[in-house]
Amino acid sequence: MRKKRILLIEDEADMVYALTLQLEAIDCEVSSAKDGQTGLGMARKEKPDLIILDLMLPKMDGYKVCRMLKFDERYKKIPIIMLTARIQDQDKKLGQEVGADAYITKPFDSKELLDKISALLKK
Amino acid sequence: MNKITRLKHSKNMSFKELKDNYQLLRDLMDFIPDVIYFKDRKGRFIMVNQAHAKGLGVKPEALVGKTDFDLFQKHRARKMVQDDAQVMKTGKPMIDRVERATRPDGVDNYVSTTKIPRYDNKGKVIGLIGITRDITRRMQFERLRKDKLSIERKLEALEELSAMKSEFISTVSHELRTPLAVIKQLVTIVFNEVVGQINHKQKEVLQKTLDNTERLRKIIDDLLDVSRIERNTLKLHYSLVDIADLVKDSASFFTELAAEKSISLEYSYPKKPVNIFIDVDRIRQVIYNLISNAIKFTMDGGKIKVEVRVLESKVRIGVIDNGIGISKSDLLLVFNKFTQVSKIEGVENKGVGLGLSISKKLVERHKGDIWVESKLGVGSKFYFTLLRFYTLDMLDKTIRDKVSSLIKKGVSIYFVSLLILNFNEFKRRLKIGAKILFKDLHAILDLSLKEVQSNNLNKQTMAVINPKVGKFSIVLPGATDRQVVKISNLLKLKIKEYFISNKIEDVFITIGTLSYSQKILSHDEKFSASRFSIKEIYIGSEMRRFKRVSLKTSIKLYLPDKKVELTESIDLSIGGICLTIRDLLKTDSQLRVSFFLPENKKFIISARVRVAWIRKIRPFFGKDVDKYKVGLEFISLEDKYRKFIASKLSSML
Repeated sequence: MRKKRILLIEDEADMVYALTLQLEAIDCEVSSAKDGQTGLGMARKEKPDLIILDLMLPKMDGYKVCRMLKFDERYKKIPIIMLTARIQDQDKKLGQEVGADAYITKPFDSKELLDKISALLKK
Repeated sequence: MNKITRLKHSKNMSFKELKDNYQLLRDLMDFIPDVIYFKDRKGRFIMVNQAHAKGLGVKPEALVGKTDFDLFQKHRARKMVQDDAQVMKTGKPMIDRVERATRPDGVDNYVSTTKIPRYDNKGKVIGLIGITRDITRRMQFERLRKDKLSIERKLEALEELSAMKSEFISTVSHELRTPLAVIKQLVTIVFNEVVGQINHKQKEVLQKTLDNTERLRKIIDDLLDVSRIERNTLKLHYSLVDIADLVKDSASFFTELAAEKSISLEYSYPKKPVNIFIDVDRIRQVIYNLISNAIKFTMDGGKIKVEVRVLESKVRIGVIDNGIGISKSDLLLVFNKFTQVSKIEGVENKGVGLGLSISKKLVERHKGDIWVESKLGVGSKFYFTLLRFYTLDMLDKTIRDKVSSLIKKGVSIYFVSLLILNFNEFKRRLKIGAKILFKDLHAILDLSLKEVQSNNLNKQTMAVINPKVGKFSIVLPGATDRQVVKISNLLKLKIKEYFISNKIEDVFITIGTLSYSQKILSHDEKFSASRFSIKEIYIGSEMRRFKRVSLKTSIKLYLPDKKVELTESIDLSIGGICLTIRDLLKTDSQLRVSFFLPENKKFIISARVRVAWIRKIRPFFGKDVDKYKVGLEFISLEDKYRKFIASKLSSML
């Protein structure tokens, strides 16, 4: 079966490093973007199997990226996991409104993230 | 009017006009409270008014011809004469000069002095007119206003600082989370051998690193909680839950932790389900905080007990340990922010000292109380109470879940609860079985709903009946206030008719208008989308223990070491008494009380009571005396007293 491709839209370089290591260890192909705009472009171009999206991004915040993808027939099927340090309830609600499939707050358990990824990739 | 016209004017006046004018001026001089005087060129008084003379304790005539030197102290008089001379020499009036004089009794008096020169018809200065007004009050007012302004400004500055501080804490905490998340990920990667095998020792080291990232995470979370609580941005999400379930949850979580120190962790729950309306996550946070503290401060082999007591209108949760206890001096500070007990050997001091202060705020947001009783070397007892809604007791799980899910969807729920008090008696008097009674009540409900013509309600209304206890609850999702008021009133009318038609005349029906949504959710009104309101309809001939009256009476409390006699306002119900005292009592301790009801001083009620809950009252404005509000539960009340109180309550309500 072909490898699953995951796109990371995250501006923390070390976080990208850490996530890439873990995702490659479970046999996924990882690509990444440092800001919202680039991320959106890459998502449209590559059509990954899953996107991990940080909310605090330069150039275009995560909510917008998520909305742009989820409200577009061509890309709305791509599962998106939102990653953020903020856990205010309005953030979660907003996430739901823009169509995120999952919401994880930093710092998180690797296991929790990996479980969510497998669950979403299986669909 | 210039001097010439003035002269002509008086010359042309009739005697009567002169007299009238003179009277006007005389009235002015006699009745105005300001000091008015006329002086000649040499500073001698020509005429003074009543106020002036009175102030000096003489008659006005006595002052004619005198100078300031005759009346006042040398240095003061000199100044006055100087002022006079200045005015008369330059022709420039002195208007509203404020001067301070200290009275013999030390109080400062402020006066405003005005002196204007007097001219003859040739324009020469012939003297002056002086008016002195006491403006002490005005000055005080001014000073107060200035003080108030300065305080307001300081308050504004403080509030701004506080807001900045909270925002700072919030921003920094969020910023701290990201590198912490990265560290956690990286360490986990090595720990999970994703980048190569590691030996046992290395694994141990990394485990400790991960444990510490958890510590850090908890501290950051606490800081965020505190800043959110302070900025009032903490949202609570309410749902119905059985208190026993909530406490049981924590049981499983802490079993391991307690076992590590060989501490025995015991739980006691009420036998029946007790549903309460709370923010589950937040109350769980409180319970966890108390239990983890208990574990932290109890030595190996110790004992911790978590007990849930169902009180009249509250639920009381206690975490009792036989650990190291808290010293008297620390006891006062224990719920403060950033306070931690003085370093003690053998106790790991994790965290930054926010847990209890957060717990306190969370309990208070739920309109509950939290307090502690402790003795150094013996152990500590932490208690907190939550308001209890007994009508929810009878909700079986399916209804409870349905209600919870509706609340989560943001649907407002109205709960109309018919409670037939002394149900057995009613059944007997009605001479029909409970089944028929409730069938009839159900029919009445259907009819009422039809009359209110609410199609939206008919479909979703749920009725829950508990024939054994005489409870009939109606859940009305999405009902408006008006609809519920209409329905409640209709029900009340029809039920009364029903009982009367069945020959029960002294039936008493009231509608309790406790709207719990306002009581608990008022703080969060702007945040929560759903409401849960309860209207209670009492049917009966006797008041239930949940109703209380406030009376002022003499009450004696027999404490172990002394007798306290008070004349106080007490809240009396068939379940117990609630009052304010100065003595700190121990929760669950027992004592005797005796009191009488105001109209009947001879009938003294004596009872044994248990201290159900106690909370400190914040003193007003610097009065340093400690006061406590305490709830005393009747342990055993003699029939005669019970009947008396019951009849008293029903007659007063």
